[in-house]
Amino acid sequence: MDLSLNEHQRMLAQSARTFMQRRMPKAAIVALHNTDTGYQAQTWSTIAELGWLGLLIAPQYGGGGASLTDAAVLYEEFGRGPLPGPFFSSGVLSALTVEEAGTEEQRRRILPEIAAGRQIYTVAITEPRRSWGPQGIAMEPRLDGDKYILDGIKLFVSDGAAASHLIVAVRTGSSDDAISLLVVDKRSRGVAARNLPGLLSWQAEITFEGVEVAAAALLGRRENGGWAALSRAMQRALPVLCAYQVGSCQAAFEMSVEYSRTRVQFGVPIGRFQRVQDHIVRLVNHLDAARWTTYEALWKLDSGRPAADSVHLAKAVTAEAHMEACNAAHEVHAGIGSVHEYGLTPHTQLSRTLFNYLGDPKWHKRQMAAALQW
Amino acid sequence: MDFEVNYTGEQQRFRSEVRSWLEANVPPAISRRPTTDEESAANYRLRRELGRKLGAKGWLYPLAPKEYGGGGMDVDHAIVLEEEADRFELSLPPYYNSGGTLGAPTILVWGTEEQRRTLLPPIYRGEVRVWQLLSEPEAGSDLAGVRMRATRDGDEYVLNGQKVFIGSDNGTDWMWTLAATDPNGERHKNLSWFMVDARLPGITVQPMDLLGAGESSARSGQKNTIFFEDVRVPASRLVGGENNGWRVASTHLELEHGGGGHIGRNRFWHALLDYCRNTTRDGRPLVEDPDVRDTLADIYIKAQVGRLFGLRNFWLTYAKQPKSYEGPQLSLYMKLAGLWMTGAILQSIGPEALTSDPRWGSEDHFLEAQQRNGIVLMHPGGTADIQKVSMARRIGIGRATRESAGKVS
Repeated sequence: MDLSLNEHQRMLAQSARTFMQRRMPKAAIVALHNTDTGYQAQTWSTIAELGWLGLLIAPQYGGGGASLTDAAVLYEEFGRGPLPGPFFSSGVLSALTVEEAGTEEQRRRILPEIAAGRQIYTVAITEPRRSWGPQGIAMEPRLDGDKYILDGIKLFVSDGAAASHLIVAVRTGSSDDAISLLVVDKRSRGVAARNLPGLLSWQAEITFEGVEVAAAALLGRRENGGWAALSRAMQRALPVLCAYQVGSCQAAFEMSVEYSRTRVQFGVPIGRFQRVQDHIVRLVNHLDAARWTTYEALWKLDSGRPAADSVHLAKAVTAEAHMEACNAAHEVHAGIGSVHEYGLTPHTQLSRTLFNYLGDPKWHKRQMAAALQW
Repeated sequence: MDFEVNYTGEQQRFRSEVRSWLEANVPPAISRRPTTDEESAANYRLRRELGRKLGAKGWLYPLAPKEYGGGGMDVDHAIVLEEEADRFELSLPPYYNSGGTLGAPTILVWGTEEQRRTLLPPIYRGEVRVWQLLSEPEAGSDLAGVRMRATRDGDEYVLNGQKVFIGSDNGTDWMWTLAATDPNGERHKNLSWFMVDARLPGITVQPMDLLGAGESSARSGQKNTIFFEDVRVPASRLVGGENNGWRVASTHLELEHGGGGHIGRNRFWHALLDYCRNTTRDGRPLVEDPDVRDTLADIYIKAQVGRLFGLRNFWLTYAKQPKSYEGPQLSLYMKLAGLWMTGAILQSIGPEALTSDPRWGSEDHFLEAQQRNGIVLMHPGGTADIQKVSMARRIGIGRATRESAGKVS
């Protein structure tokens, strides 16, 4: 038993933290919040050059071949920012989806582009007025010779504005999970992306109008294997996303502790009040629940143990924890917490955006129960 | 990271040895829940007898130093022992022994060499049971305000006062306690820590009538009031020096606040899931009711988070990593989860959870016991609020960074 990070992981965390302090201080992150894509070209290239974008991609496809725990350590540091941009969408979820669903030829063609940051991928799954899960995917392409023709709308597509390529989940059969994945160049005629306004972090509406996609864009050799492949990819990607949220909770915790020491009301630092302490205690309990469920799931995955129940559990716990941690931080900070410049709001907005992303807590709890064979 | 203990071949051999020994030495009747006081006393005798046998092998306190009668083993062997005992639904020690699990490590830290040689072997070998005596009618959360007096008289201290919420059923051999040796002295510098022989004249044990002491569970949750009337304790039983008792006590308070951590199966969860599989409502097993499943998922998740907090504390302790708020966090989490669970279970199971009736209640009325214990367990080892206060101090909330230390390791 050893619950500490290994030497290599400690060094990775340290470099990522230094990188974030130098290149992505609070002011830079707040500034990025008003952009459409959430990233700067220069930071994007640096992160690609450092090998962090392709960290999880196997070496033969131009990546670093790291473990999921390694990636989680990196994303936890990103989450402390929180660093916005399509890093997870492209470097983790899309990369793992291509690895799980694609043919060898497709992996060789796509993964090096993702690792080098030359192309930016995201996965487009959810649709208007539809629930999460394969049954919620209704977009059905028409087959026209050796082409698919796509019509319809994908909604709440993370990093849809920043992406150069979309992996679109479409219905190709009548059974619930008869889903296929098509790779669509976003510059194709008939594709339009629009960032959704509101308390969302970079999720988009993507409209498809008579979009022609070559049959070769189908990931894998045959139709209908898409949901199974996506599920396998999500099993591995979700705990990395959770680690990103753990980092965000950690930041909310540290900001709240610091504020409790420096903000003076009634002549004393507010942290002397037990009511204020209660918020921070609640916050740290959520933070640690998210942290340890996440890292246990990662350990199971990396060591080849059955992990489905732990992954669903971690996602459910972390989504709720992230929201509650930010709520507690707002209770500690009161007015100043709602000032964008202060830097708490990017965490809060993220906690809301990721709550439903890739399945809400209730859905994951039910999947967990199924995985445990109750 | 590695969330599991990896056993060497030698440890695997040790496991088989422990398993065969337990199979040969644990009487089957030991895990049956007693329903009368006579059965309870008989069960307690079986447990003490097993405790002495385990103690003779160094398996009762496997981590304690060998020179004082412990097992002198490493953590991995201790885990094997815990896991194997758990297969028989036993813990180590196999009976309530708060003074042993918490008091013995305190003596290791604060006792003189002579005290360690006198006091520790009987505890570690299972020859004595020890209770801790802390709370008083006027000193609960404010433990430093204990009023029991200890007055020096020659080679003895004379103890007078009253302690509440103490021990269990079936009595004890030794007790240790905090008493004021300097009643007018500065707070935290006026107390002393004593190990007391329970048979001394002037000690009266009186059972309390409590919510946790279920009617037919043979007082499984029994606690007592203990009266001290001119009890003469040899001065050699003062541990850690006069007026130093608060510092001595802080050693075991940390342990009691979950600082040591734990590992092990969650028997309650397995029993609950089995109940929901085997009990029907409107002709359908409870586990197939979507609302019950959702509630079970939330209960399971809290159990898992609690398990992980315990595992983390266990690892922090034995890997000798620095600790801050983690001890009281585990304690707080388990208390709040237990109380919340009383409602969650009532919601999903219904009034069957409230009855100890053998026909309509759960097996050994484990659900009814949870309805009681979820409430009662809010106070031992410090209330939930006290755990929060303790966490806040250690995190350093509201204190300048340089004052935030408060860490224990």
